[in-house]
Amino acid sequence: MPEVAFESMEGSEQLQSGKVSEQLSIAMPEWLSQQWETLKHDQAALYTTIAVLFVTLLTLFIVTRVTFKRKKSKTVLLVGLNGAGKTALFYQLRDGTTHQGAVTSMEPNADTFILHSETSKKGKVKPVHVVDVPGHPKLRPQLEELLPKSCCLVFVVDALDFMPHVRAAAEYLYELLTNKEVVKRRIPILLTCNKMDKITAHSSNFIKGQLEKELNKLRKSRTSVSAADVSSEISLGVQGEVFNFTQCSNKITIAEVSALTGKVEQVEQFIREYV
Amino acid sequence: MLEQFLIFTRGGLVLWSCLEVGKALKGSPVDALIKTCLLEERAGDSSFQYDAAGAGYTLKWRFHNELGLVFVAVYQRMLHLLYVDELLEKVMREFSILFVPTRTVYHDFDDTYRQLLKAAEANSHFKRVGQHRHIDNPRKGSESQARNAQTGRKSDKSAGKSSGSNDDGADEDGEADGSKFGPVGYSNGTGNGHANGNKANGLGSTKSGRSSASGSSSDEDSVAHKTSSENAFDVSKLAKLRNNKSKKATSGMEGPKGTSKDDAVSKKPQKKNRVWGDAPPPSKLDFTDPVSVDQGDDGVDIAVVEKGLSLMDKDDDDESFRVEDMMVEVEKENGGKKAASKKGWLTSLVQSVAGKPALEYADLEPALKIFKERLMTKNVAADIAEKLCDSVAASLVGKKQGSFTRITTTVQAAMEESLVRILTPKRSVDILRDVHQAKEVGRPYTIVFVGVNGVGKSTNLAKVAYWLQQHDIKVMMAACDTFRSGAVEQLRTHARRLQIPIFERGYEKDPAVVARDAIYEAKRTKQDVVLVDTAGRMQDNEPLMRALSKLINMNDPDLVLFVGEALVGNDGVHQLTQFNQKLADLSSTSSQTQSIDGILLTKFDTIDDKVGAALSMVYTSGAPVMFVGCGQNYTDLKKLNIKSVMKSLLT
Repeated sequence: MPEVAFESMEGSEQLQSGKVSEQLSIAMPEWLSQQWETLKHDQAALYTTIAVLFVTLLTLFIVTRVTFKRKKSKTVLLVGLNGAGKTALFYQLRDGTTHQGAVTSMEPNADTFILHSETSKKGKVKPVHVVDVPGHPKLRPQLEELLPKSCCLVFVVDALDFMPHVRAAAEYLYELLTNKEVVKRRIPILLTCNKMDKITAHSSNFIKGQLEKELNKLRKSRTSVSAADVSSEISLGVQGEVFNFTQCSNKITIAEVSALTGKVEQVEQFIREYV
Repeated sequence: MLEQFLIFTRGGLVLWSCLEVGKALKGSPVDALIKTCLLEERAGDSSFQYDAAGAGYTLKWRFHNELGLVFVAVYQRMLHLLYVDELLEKVMREFSILFVPTRTVYHDFDDTYRQLLKAAEANSHFKRVGQHRHIDNPRKGSESQARNAQTGRKSDKSAGKSSGSNDDGADEDGEADGSKFGPVGYSNGTGNGHANGNKANGLGSTKSGRSSASGSSSDEDSVAHKTSSENAFDVSKLAKLRNNKSKKATSGMEGPKGTSKDDAVSKKPQKKNRVWGDAPPPSKLDFTDPVSVDQGDDGVDIAVVEKGLSLMDKDDDDESFRVEDMMVEVEKENGGKKAASKKGWLTSLVQSVAGKPALEYADLEPALKIFKERLMTKNVAADIAEKLCDSVAASLVGKKQGSFTRITTTVQAAMEESLVRILTPKRSVDILRDVHQAKEVGRPYTIVFVGVNGVGKSTNLAKVAYWLQQHDIKVMMAACDTFRSGAVEQLRTHARRLQIPIFERGYEKDPAVVARDAIYEAKRTKQDVVLVDTAGRMQDNEPLMRALSKLINMNDPDLVLFVGEALVGNDGVHQLTQFNQKLADLSSTSSQTQSIDGILLTKFDTIDDKVGAALSMVYTSGAPVMFVGCGQNYTDLKKLNIKSVMKSLLT
């Protein structure tokens, strides 16, 4: 049967081929072969049939494509280093509590939910799709697959234990800021300083300053020195000026939160702004 | 006593934990377990040791792949708790009944856990007493087990009837466990058995599970009685497992040699395609320059090399290491046939359409064996291939298989994922950035090249020097190979050709002192990088290893680069472990032990697609491959292309 069907396609393109129609009339049921006979005589009808079929398929294809795409880029990504508090933030946003704490993630946490603070709200509230990307460097390749679907990024930084990890954090941020996808679609980033409930936590201004400084250094070592290195990388900020976040094409805002105590309004606001 | 019992999802959310009151754990052993063990594909190991200040813990774990749960038990290393494995199994069984994906709090599990723990402790006590008897006669044990299970069921029923209201619902739990959770108990308990023997065993295990559950809720006496049956079952299982293992080992030897040959034949023409940088004109192949042959350095003409970019800087997508996917398909086909032939075609067809409920070890075994052999033909060290397969199996057992997928495909996907994970470096390997960091502080960045004899330390040191020089970094060489004749002269020649200053003190000097002086000198003359060449040494040569340890501990280099040949097979693992071990053991100051930070893989152009050494070395040391030497020119230094290595390993 499949062979016959295939040939019928070809036959319809060439239009006159008695052999094919003969084969068809044998293989097809009675009424279909009758239809075929009439179609063969009336060429205009044949053309219209094909045209209608073609148009229907095309529209179907486009419609599915569009809906699929729109669905695609509605994801909020929680990224950041290992131990910054992404998983805690994820559950804080979803359930309003961090449960009994978290350990290093081995897989992304993903869920579509209505933000916990909005569950009591009346009226229709749109659910958000949030993905918590593991921070361990070995699991970082997973981010590449998730970025095309994202609409905004929440970069979580550990404000308490910040200084020992400043270089690693800056490196991660650099990778994000020079990522093709991020730059092309200008994905907004929220720089989230987590663990602000602790007394010894650094202030967001300090963290911002330190990160800018580190990024500036990184930019130097990656662009001017290794210009010959894989040049697909996009340069960061304005050349010849000291780097700061306002130079980025995408919007970068900064927030102070505490996933543990539930002070996450700024993240919620940010998410609502872009979803 | 157990310090902590933890249940968490693979996403990292702690669902339930039991921490002994008043005992906070020192350090974070669970995070360490995940980072250094589970994410490095060592999940096939049986336990993990964690050292914190003043405490040593042993951790054991189980995966429940279908539900995506991880169970971890932490206990003091000094206490050899025998019941931990059993407890883990039981807790896993009990908890998976309770588990609902949306639920995150399981306070009601406390009681169940306490009972299980009590039963397990009592059991282990009994085990110690009665071990010998049962080991003697496993079959008898399993018979008695069946009998016991029967009686156990009876007593269970009566207990349930009489005291159903008195007990706090644990009885019903026990019942539910036995009946509902039969299939999972079966897959966990005897996953290693053959398909035939499996069923009988599985029945037994569910029965025993029921009996033990009921026992824990009824009086202590019957606990002891029934646990003996459980124990017997365990022992017989062990024996079976051992048999299986040995079978596996022997059948593993008779690999499909035909396929590997085919591989070699079809790969051969590819070798021609290699792009050799910018090939130098024939005259340049002659590196001896006539003037410098007669006596040394007296300001004679210097042949400066100008050969364009180091390959490090070129796009990695160069075709030389590309492997066609065609072979994957062929092999896949083969693998599929082999796997399918074990079962009837009808069942496999039905399964392929409907999708299997849960993968079992027996299902995975044939596919894993194929992959293991394939890895070994690619020059991966034997025990590493084995460990990797175990780890992949651990991550797949119990998982749901999608419809229209073959087991080989599933295993292949898991294998690819874990290979990429292994080869991806833990930290950034941007040497240039580190060099600049050091430059800001105003000290030279020191790289020490270590390795066994004749792997190409000096040659690749020159290549690295050339690459750094290309990036406007001031490089100095230090000739600390004061042992082999001609080593200093060889390095001097390289230095002259690259126009790089060299620090040398002749032969018969202590290399550690030479290196120290070199670093001082570099600081004085404001050099950015010092490349320290050391003498090659066999990893078992104690005095030489001690000398190396001294050199490293004295100078505290920023980077210890292990130079290894890509040709090496099983010995590569030994080399790396020994080097790492000796560096740690022989260091005088115990405060900060230097270990190998990175790997330079040499002679990569000579191995075609047998890239297994890269995997072996990275897996054993955890250090990333920073450079790959792939030719004789200064430009022949590359970055490791993880994807292409992964592909060639699995073709």
